[in-house]
Amino acid sequence: MKILMKPIEMIAWFTTDKKPIPLRYRIMDENNTFKVIKVDRILFAEEEKLAGNRMILYRCESKINNLNRVYELKYEVDSCKWFLYKF
Amino acid sequence: MKERIIFHVDVNSAYLSWEAVYRLQHGESIDLREIPSIVGGDESKRHGIVLSKSIPAKEYGIVTGESVYSARQKCPNLTIVPPNYERYIKASNSMISLLNEYSPIIQRFSIDEVFMDCSHFKGKDFLKIAYEIKERIKEELGFTVNIGISSNKLLAKMASDFKKPDRIHTLFPDEIKEKMWPLPVGELFMIGVKTQRKLNGRGIYTIGELANLDRKYIYSWLKMPGLLIWEYANGIENSPVRSISYPVKSIGNSTTTSYDVDNRKEAYMFLLAISEMVGMRTRDLKLCGKVVSVSIRNEEFYSYSHQRKLDVATNSTNTIYETSKKLFDEMWDGKPIRRFNITLSELSSSDFYQLSLLEGYSEKDEKLNKAIDRIRCKYGYNSIIRSCFLHSGINPIIGGVMEEEYPMMSSII
Repeated sequence: MKILMKPIEMIAWFTTDKKPIPLRYRIMDENNTFKVIKVDRILFAEEEKLAGNRMILYRCESKINNLNRVYELKYEVDSCKWFLYKF
Repeated sequence: MKERIIFHVDVNSAYLSWEAVYRLQHGESIDLREIPSIVGGDESKRHGIVLSKSIPAKEYGIVTGESVYSARQKCPNLTIVPPNYERYIKASNSMISLLNEYSPIIQRFSIDEVFMDCSHFKGKDFLKIAYEIKERIKEELGFTVNIGISSNKLLAKMASDFKKPDRIHTLFPDEIKEKMWPLPVGELFMIGVKTQRKLNGRGIYTIGELANLDRKYIYSWLKMPGLLIWEYANGIENSPVRSISYPVKSIGNSTTTSYDVDNRKEAYMFLLAISEMVGMRTRDLKLCGKVVSVSIRNEEFYSYSHQRKLDVATNSTNTIYETSKKLFDEMWDGKPIRRFNITLSELSSSDFYQLSLLEGYSEKDEKLNKAIDRIRCKYGYNSIIRSCFLHSGINPIIGGVMEEEYPMMSSII
């Protein structure tokens, strides 16, 4: 996996007790067209607070072009922004 | 007195480490701490000094406080990043909340330095606990700290300064001779360049040499401050770890202007902008002050100041401004100015104060200040400004690095 840290648009499910669950996001690809990716599985989620900045890191799996790919998403609590962290 | 155990936690190259960790968290591949890099002010606004440096930058001889320009000359491929105080406050707060798990008695000495009273660990293995704290900060928050351990705050602070980064040192009274006395006298807390020069002039070069002077001799020579540093050199200091902040003695703000100010009208505007800040802060703390002092630094970096005692203590923006204007007129020699400072001291509570027969008191002015403060508190600093600042390019309220209260360094340990 390579670090990308690309901002993404996200539909997430905010629960009453657990961390927010990413469901589906879209990302601009090389041809400047949006691509929608559904998050099939969350392998793990952990919170980090490096330098006091809270972020939740998710390792996820999705079927992309008929291939199962593992990648990482990040959610920054203070700014409410989602990122494709590693792909 | 019962023997205490004091930890002094000091973040290694604080601003730079925090910036580096923040960037790594946001996907940057280079760790600023591993390359020659500094956090530096904006040169175009003439705030261009080194605020914090990485250890590789230190190897080039770059020191905190020097100009970014000279730092770049020492190391041409230096990476310079701008400061972001909001991030630093966040990082510092996260460290405080972690430390709070270990002790309720914590004194925030500055944004990156903390004293902790850990006397309750007595009998336990406090070194192990110190290592646990250090490792947890590294693991959870991503930056490294030095922890100094001793039986008072001064020695703990001296200890954390020994070898960096990411280390724990002890400096108990029986270790002073071996660990602290061989150090150059300038390393001692409270000894600045001037005192060092004075001491060197009489052949005192190490802390040990200072410590071994006769107490009466140092008193007759340097008076009370001399006694203080002599006690420090001997490791004598017994102030408590203050979890409530020390009472404020003076309130002041200053600014370095982005260009040299050469006319009275603009100088007045800068004074007004600073008066706004000083007045607002004083009123916020429910205080008022009797002495107004103004200091300016000219283009040749020469500073001078003037002060006046008022008959009636004040916290009114207008009174502070009018007084500083007078002081300014009395001292300004017409040379272009690069820095302004206004300080209000001899503070007292603003609940009651003695009025003067000879000076006017305006209830209207007090009400006006209150109303302005309320509006600014609700809608932001720039929601209501004086019209003279319109289109002037000068900030209507100047001073401080950020809006939130920021723990500054103090010379009172």
